[in-house]
Amino acid sequence: MAKGSGIIERSLLQDDQIMEEDNLVMDGIDISGRWNTMLKTRVHSERDLDSWDDVRASAIGESIDNCIQCGMCTAGCTVAHEVPGFNPRQFIYWVRVGRKDDLIKNADIIWRCVGCYICTNHCPKEVNTAEVIESIGQWLRKQVPEKMDQAYLANHEAYRHQLETYGRLSLPRLQAEFLSKLGRQKELFGPDLRQAAIRMLKDGRALKTLLIGRPRHWNRSRSVLMESVQT
Amino acid sequence: MQTAYFPGCSLKTIDRAYDVSTRVIAQDLGMTLVDVEDYSCCGAGELKGEGLKSHFLPARNLAHLINQGETEVMVSCNVCYHELSRTAYAVKQGGVHLDQIQSMLKAADEPQILEQPTVRNTLEYLVNVIGLDEIAKRVRVPLTGLRVAPYYGCLYQRPAKMLSSVQIAGEDTEHPHFMHDLMAALGATVVEHRAETTCCGGKNLLSDEKISGRLTGRILSTAKSSGADVLALMCPKCAGGLDALQFRAIGTVGESAQLPVMYYTQLIGIAFGHRPEELHVGDMESDAMGLIRQFLSEPAIR
Repeated sequence: MAKGSGIIERSLLQDDQIMEEDNLVMDGIDISGRWNTMLKTRVHSERDLDSWDDVRASAIGESIDNCIQCGMCTAGCTVAHEVPGFNPRQFIYWVRVGRKDDLIKNADIIWRCVGCYICTNHCPKEVNTAEVIESIGQWLRKQVPEKMDQAYLANHEAYRHQLETYGRLSLPRLQAEFLSKLGRQKELFGPDLRQAAIRMLKDGRALKTLLIGRPRHWNRSRSVLMESVQT
Repeated sequence: MQTAYFPGCSLKTIDRAYDVSTRVIAQDLGMTLVDVEDYSCCGAGELKGEGLKSHFLPARNLAHLINQGETEVMVSCNVCYHELSRTAYAVKQGGVHLDQIQSMLKAADEPQILEQPTVRNTLEYLVNVIGLDEIAKRVRVPLTGLRVAPYYGCLYQRPAKMLSSVQIAGEDTEHPHFMHDLMAALGATVVEHRAETTCCGGKNLLSDEKISGRLTGRILSTAKSSGADVLALMCPKCAGGLDALQFRAIGTVGESAQLPVMYYTQLIGIAFGHRPEELHVGDMESDAMGLIRQFLSEPAIR
C-alpha cells in the first residue's frame, strides 16, 4: 500500500472547477507561474436551492441546518474509505449552496451509503447525518431516476413492493424479486445460491418463508403506506 | 419473569437459528417470552427515505405491544431493534411527528401508542436484567479454549441517543463490551480484533456486491488473523453478508475470510449444555457445525 493511503483526505474542490493556464496574460501582464491556477467563478444566480428546501422539509433531513462543515462524519465514514468521491460533508455542502449540477453529477455515488450511523454518532452538532444523506439520495432518486444505479433502484423497489404487498419480509422472495428486476433470475439457481436453497428446502426453512403470511387487516395498513403524501 | 419479545420476519423464517437459540436460553434463565401479537415487518431500514412514513411499521408493532399491556420489549434482531428504537425515540420526542404517527395508526385502524415504549436489545437485557453471575451459574459446558471474536455490527450501539443499549445500560458506543463480558462469563477466550463495530455493508448487501464483499472480507479476515475460531454475531443482516454470502468475501479477499460464524445466543446455548442440532447450528452456511462438533468431541482442547 502506498504511504499514507489509509488516510482519507477530501477536498470540497472538484477537478473541473480548477482552471490552470500555461500562459496567462491579464491586462497585458504575464501572470503565468504561481498565479496561473484559478477557481471557476460561481455566481449567486446559479444557486438552485430546491434540494435544500426539500431536504430540510423532510422528517429525516430537518437536522441538516445544524451542520458546521467540520467533516467528522466523513473522517469516520465506512464508505468514504471504499468509494472515491463519497463525501457526506460535501453532499451537505452542495445541498446548502445549491449546487444542483454537482449533486446530479454524483447521483450514482450517494446511494452507496450503508447506513452504519458512524457519522450521526460522530456529529458534534446533532445532525442525523446518515438520514440527511438518505434524504438527499431520495431527492436525487426523484429528480434524476435515470441516473441512478439499476441495482440500487431494483433493491429499493423490491423492498417497497414486498413490504407493501405482504407487510412481512420473506428474504428469498425479496432476493428473487430483486434479481428478476435486473433480469438475473438465473442466479437464484446458480452455483452460489443453489446449495443454500437446497438446504433450506430440506430443513423446512423454505416452507416457513412461504407461510409467513400477512398481518391482520393488512389492506388498511397498506393504503397508509402507499399514500403518496410525502412528509 | 414475563418478557415481551419481538422476533421479526427474518427470525421467523430463514434465521430461525437466532430465534430458537434466544428462546432456548431464555427458558433456561427462567424467562417467559411473550411474542408481540400480529407483528409486521419493522421496515428493515428501507422506508427511511419516505420520511415520517418510515415510522408507521415500527409504530404499528409498538402499538400492539402497548395494547398487550406491556411497555418494554426485548428484540434480538439488530435491525428490528434499531427501527423500533428509532420510532420509540420519535414517540418520546413528541410534537408534530408523534401526532402524525398517531394519525397514520388511526387511518390504518390500529391501536394508538398510549404509553412510552422501551425497546431493549436481548444482549443488553441478558447482561443487565438477568446478570452475568446468573448466566455463569447455568454453564454446564464451559467454552474453555474456544477463541470467540465478538462482532456487534452497527445498530446495536449507533445512533447512541436513540438506543436503550446505550441510554439505559451505559454500553460504550465506540467500544461496546457486553458480548465480550458475556463470552468471558461462558469461559471462552475473547479475541479482540478491532473490527467489532465495523459495518458489514448489510444495507446494500444485494445492490452493492463489490463493497459488501470488501467490508465483510475485511471483518472476517481481521477476526481470523487475530486468532479467532469463530465470529459471534447478533444481527441477521450481518449473518447475510458474513455467513450466507461468505463466499463473496472469500472471493474478494481470499481464504483468509473463511471463518465459522454463529449467533452469540447459540454459543450461550452450547455452554448451557444444549446439543448443536437443537440450536440449529447446522443452519449456518459457514462451518460452525464442524467447529462445535470438534470442540465438543475433544475435551483435550478444553
